[in-house]
Order: sequence, then structure tokens, then C-alpha cells
Amino acid sequence: MLVYTINRILQMIPVLFVLTVVTFSFVQLLPGDVIDTLIGDEEAEDPELRAFLMKEYGLDKPIYTQYGIWLGKALQGDFGKSLITRRPVGVELFESIPATVYLGLVGIGLSVIIALPLGSIAAVKRNSATDYTAQVTSLIGISIPEFWFAIMCVILFSLHLGWLPSSGYVSPFEDLGQSLYYLILPALAVGFRQAAYTTRLTRSSMLDEMNKEYVDTARSLGFSESKVIYKYTLRNALIPTITISGLQLANLLGGTVVLETIFAWPGIGQAIYLAIIDHDYPLIQAGILVLGIIVVVVNLLVDLLYRVLNPRVALG
Amino acid sequence: MASTEFQNGRRSIEEAIKPPTIGERLARYRVILADAFSELYKSKTAFVGFMMLVALFTVLILTPVLTKYNPIKPDYTAFLQKPSAEHIMGTDRYGRDIYSRVLWGGRRLVTIAILAVIFGLAIGIPYGVLSGYYGGWTDSIAMRICDGLLAFPGILLYLLIVTLAREWKLEGFWNDLILIFALGFAFFPEAARLVRSTVLTEKEKEYVEASHTIGEANLYIAMCQILPNCISPLIVNATVRLGFVILIIAALSFLGLGSPPPTPDWGADLSSARDHMERNPLLAVFPGLAICYTVLAFNLFGDGLRDILDPRLAER
Repeated sequence: MLVYTINRILQMIPVLFVLTVVTFSFVQLLPGDVIDTLIGDEEAEDPELRAFLMKEYGLDKPIYTQYGIWLGKALQGDFGKSLITRRPVGVELFESIPATVYLGLVGIGLSVIIALPLGSIAAVKRNSATDYTAQVTSLIGISIPEFWFAIMCVILFSLHLGWLPSSGYVSPFEDLGQSLYYLILPALAVGFRQAAYTTRLTRSSMLDEMNKEYVDTARSLGFSESKVIYKYTLRNALIPTITISGLQLANLLGGTVVLETIFAWPGIGQAIYLAIIDHDYPLIQAGILVLGIIVVVVNLLVDLLYRVLNPRVALG
Repeated sequence: MASTEFQNGRRSIEEAIKPPTIGERLARYRVILADAFSELYKSKTAFVGFMMLVALFTVLILTPVLTKYNPIKPDYTAFLQKPSAEHIMGTDRYGRDIYSRVLWGGRRLVTIAILAVIFGLAIGIPYGVLSGYYGGWTDSIAMRICDGLLAFPGILLYLLIVTLAREWKLEGFWNDLILIFALGFAFFPEAARLVRSTVLTEKEKEYVEASHTIGEANLYIAMCQILPNCISPLIVNATVRLGFVILIIAALSFLGLGSPPPTPDWGADLSSARDHMERNPLLAVFPGLAICYTVLAFNLFGDGLRDILDPRLAER
């Protein structure tokens, strides 16, 4: 296990390399001088300042040295200053991470609560009307864009029925009740699409398990059908289901950029969106790098967790 | 075909090598088509998806005939109207006919999506074949690059590329071209991996060894002999990918990073409909339904195709 873990961490290095090279090149590929890009208009005229900044940022050095300097700073959490607020980008981003994590976790939780029963019932009653309904519903679910679903929910629950707020955020540490009240619609929008994926997954991994020999053995020993299904099969089918929903986090984080914008949710997705609108390049660069790293690390953790839960898998 | 004719001895060699007449060709195509259709009919999902796609493409091809209003010309005598006989889906805030905007927007969106997927395949297929065929270091490096690109969560890679296009102030044709490039570029690692994994199993087979023995060039074996055996998983993947690409394009233009305003565009139209949710909520319904229909059609067709082309999965 230790060897596998070390191996797996070593495999992350090239991935992180490509990730950093792409985000680093982003600023290089922008039109105009890097100095203009990094410091904004009003200070760009002064030639002395420019020369100073050239040295300061190491722009007089070759490109790979620049990459090295940038990477070294980024590793220490120094991503430069926001062009708009003039505050360190790192601080801005780390302030917005909790809101995204909160929304993401509740969304995933909601999806699992919906999807597990639906997927297992579909698998148990395979090829029945229930199964087809579940399959068609989940296929429709993954075809609906989440932002449209969100808008339809706002029209129905906020404008038409007036039950829920259409946007806004309250921290759960301030007022848990209010916070959950504001969370319902965004979490539903995050969760429904995820639920559609997870239903399909649960169904196919349940079917995989139900074809295995131990299920026949359990049946021949005279265990009741519900015990066989819920005590043995479902438990084993959960392993791949949970693993893959962990890996789906990548999709989910991408989707939150749009959803956070709709619901004015102050997470990392909205921060990146506002940065794009405001041409705040250091923030865009750092935001995408941080999200990318979160995904890589989560994927690693999920992968390791999978090996722990399922020791039969060869440690390749 | 030809070999059975020889065995039956009914035709001379001269007759057999003569190019087939148009009538014969048509007959042969009819047999192939009938075969394909009866296969298609075996899977309900594939059949429904296929019919939905036929309807979609018919409508999109006939758009100039089916619409009587110019999708970008404002009409200030008829803004924000509810659906009526004149405007069957109503009008937007500039009095433009929603129905004709939905159709024209679809033409553009589907074209871009198809070109993007073709572009992704065009890079991904040779990349995957060569990486799998040569193996060793080439393969390791090529696959780590893929891993790095795949680590970008959801729409973030597109966000980076589209933001670059925005900063360079690219418009119209060039903007669309960048979009196609971004979407195709993000697809290629997936296609490459899929092809590579099939190549890895194919290259161990006897026919490859036989080709080596008679001295065929490596490149010829890889591209002309191994590749054709990897096609069916690719078709499935590309079909499902088309639905995904359409969702991404819609999300990007919903964020205001797609085409500039007067262009009919489902995502952008949805976004501007949000300003009039109280007065005319239906405005937000039609572009969203159009997205759902199109994505669902591709997903159903792709899912069904997978069942047909990979009978092992269909048994589940």
C-alpha cells in the first residue's frame, strides 16, 4: 500500500506540471505586454516603474526561469495581487473556497440520497417498468443543462410560488436556518444532475454484483431476498459508486462556475467568473490553478480510499 | 461478395472485376442500410434517439424555409410578446421572433459542435494509435500529457481558451474557430486514450505479426490495419461527446463568453431571458428545451449504439 501510495503521488507530478504550464502560458498568451497585464493601466506609463517591475517579476530573464520563479511563488501561496481589489489573490481565493465546498458537499450528499435507492430499485427490478422509468429519467436528467434547471427552479419556487429566495448566501456559522434556506435551490441544481449520473452508476454496479457467485451462494443458503440484496449486494456495489461520484467532483466544480453565478453564491466559481468579466488576470490564473489542484488531490484521495475499501484490487 | 460469385462459378473473372453499375451499387447500399436499420431497431433507445436526430437535422436544414422572421432584426412594435399565431414562441425584448432565433441558433450550435468533435478526433486518433503502437517512453509521455489535460475540471480549460479569445478581441468567424479549437482540444485526450487502449489489445494479435513478417511499414500497420478495428467504441464516444459539447457551448455563451450579442444563441438567449423572468417567463423556456432536446437525442442515440456495438454491455 505504501509503495502504491508513493507511486501514485509520483504520477501526480507530470499532471501538475502540465496544469501549471497551461495556466502559466495563459498570461503569456494574452495580448500586450506582461507588465500591462499585471499592473493595470494607470501605473503602466512610468518607464522607471516598468524597469523596476521587469526586474522585480524577473521578466528580463528567459521564459523557463520566469516559469520557475512563478511556480516557486505559487507554491508559497503567492499568486500576485488582484488588479481590481489590489488584495493578494491567494487571500481572495481562500476566502471563497468554503462556500464552494459547502455547496458541493451538500449537492453530492443530496444526489446520493436520491440516486442510491433509485439505482438499486432499478437494478433489482431489472427490465421492469420501474427500471425503464428510472433509466429514462436519469438519461433526461443528464441531458438538462444545470443552468436551465436552475432558472426554471427560480421561476417556479421564487417568482411564482414565492417559497424560496432566488439568490444570495448566508454563512452556516452565522445563522444555520437562514443558511439552509438560501442553500436549497443551489444545492438542488447541483444535486439533480449528479443524481442522474449516480443513478446510472448504482444500477450498473448493482447488476455487476448481482451476477457474482456469492449472491447465488447466499440465496442457496436460504437467506431472504431482501437480506441478500441490501446486506450483501448493495454494500459491495457502493464501493465503485462512491469512488466514481468522488471522481465526478471535477465535473461538479466546473458546473459550479455557472451555478454560483446564477445564485450569486460567493464561491471560487463566481470569483473566477467575475475575474473574467473584470479582466483580472492574476485571479483567473490562480483560480483555475487552485481548482485544478483541488481536483487532482481529491482524485488521489478517492483512488487511495478505493484501495482501502476494496483490498482485492491489485496494487498495480 | 466477389468470392461467393467465383465459388458459384456463374460469372467469369472479367465480369467479376468489372466495376459495378449504378444499379448494382444502389442495391448493395440498400442491403447495408437495411441491415443497419434492423440493428438500430433492436435497441429502443437507439431508435428513438435516431428519430429525434433525424427530426432535428431536418428542421435545422430547412430552417430558412421554416422561419419567416429575421432572427437578428429588431421589431420595436412587438417586444416581449407572449406566444401567438404570429410568433409561436413569443418575442424577446427587441421584438425578435424567438422561434426563428431558436432554429437559427441551433444551426450554428450543432455545426460548431460537430466540427469540434471532428477536430478532436482528428488529433486524438493518430495520437492514440501511435502512442499505443509504439509504447515505451513515447507512450508514457503522451499519456501523462493527456492526464494533465484531463485534470482540468469541467469547463475550466474552455474558460481559459475562450477568455484568451475575448482578450484578443476575436469576433465572428475567428471566435467560432477558437471555440471549435478549444472544445476539440479538450476532447482529444479522451479519444486518444480510448484508441490507445484498443490498440494495446489489437497489436498483440496475429494479423499484426503477419504484417510485420511481410515487411509492412509500422505507420501503415498502425493507421491502416489496426485503426479500423478501434472505430466502434470511438463512434459511441463521439456521439455522447456531441451532447456534452453542446452543453458546454451553451454554458459558455450563458456566461457571456460565446458569440457577441445579435447572434442567435441558445445559451446567450437564456441568459438575457433572465432579465424578463417576471414579465415573460416563457422566454427562458424555449431555448432551454431546445438544448435539452438536442442533448437528449445525442445521448439516447449514443447509449443505444453502445448497446448494439458492445453486446456484453447490453446484457446488463
